[in-house]
Amino acid sequence: MISVETGVQVTQVNVMTSDNGGLSSEQITELALDKIVRVSQDAPPAIRDQAEAFKEEIRSVIHHYVELTRKEERGTICQMLSKAGHQDTADLVRRL
Amino acid sequence: MAITQAMCTSFKKELLEGVHNFKNSGGGTFKLALYAISSGGKSSTTATLGATTTAFTTTGEIASSGSYATGGGSLTRVDPTTSGTTGFTDFSDLSFTTATITARGALIYNSSASNKAVAALDFGGNKTSTSGTFTIQFPTANASNAIIRIA
Repeated sequence: MISVETGVQVTQVNVMTSDNGGLSSEQITELALDKIVRVSQDAPPAIRDQAEAFKEEIRSVIHHYVELTRKEERGTICQMLSKAGHQDTADLVRRL
Repeated sequence: MAITQAMCTSFKKELLEGVHNFKNSGGGTFKLALYAISSGGKSSTTATLGATTTAFTTTGEIASSGSYATGGGSLTRVDPTTSGTTGFTDFSDLSFTTATITARGALIYNSSASNKAVAALDFGGNKTSTSGTFTIQFPTANASNAIIRIA
């Protein structure tokens, strides 16, 4: 008898939610981190510790640039609103 | 009534029949619909999803809210690939914005193949957004973690 055995598998997804607005910079940072670094709980302790330390380093870098992106985007939106004569709305966006 | 994480059995058969195409270019339209249990779905229905699910169902699906419309959101396909002896495919993360949603799980289905079911996803508990964003993040696309793998 000749047969080939294989398995079709599905993995758990991660769900992130927010209330009264979009995801926070911390949540977006977490989403990005999950894609970049995955530390196996089965890894030897020394390697796991090193990987966790690396993950924390990356976390601060991503968070910084997510914040910067949001700030710059708001700046662009404010500028466009001001140019279109909507100064009140522009000020509102600037204060976010 | 429950939602159980599973690759739908009918999908395994349909893979052998060439029903589904996950390629980025020219592939089918795959959607993800959200479901509630404990009478949380629209019209107070509750979902039962798992390996025996064969197609998209409105029973237990959550109501439209914000950018979520009944039937769910379209998934962006990522070309299937291999690593070692495992073949796998992936989707881009999916977000529903300005939405008030409570969902316990989801169904991935192929809307260009008679809404045939692909996989039932269990969130492990109710996930809620209130006038906010509801994001489904797919796992890292590799041989050990990708959302759909053939090992």
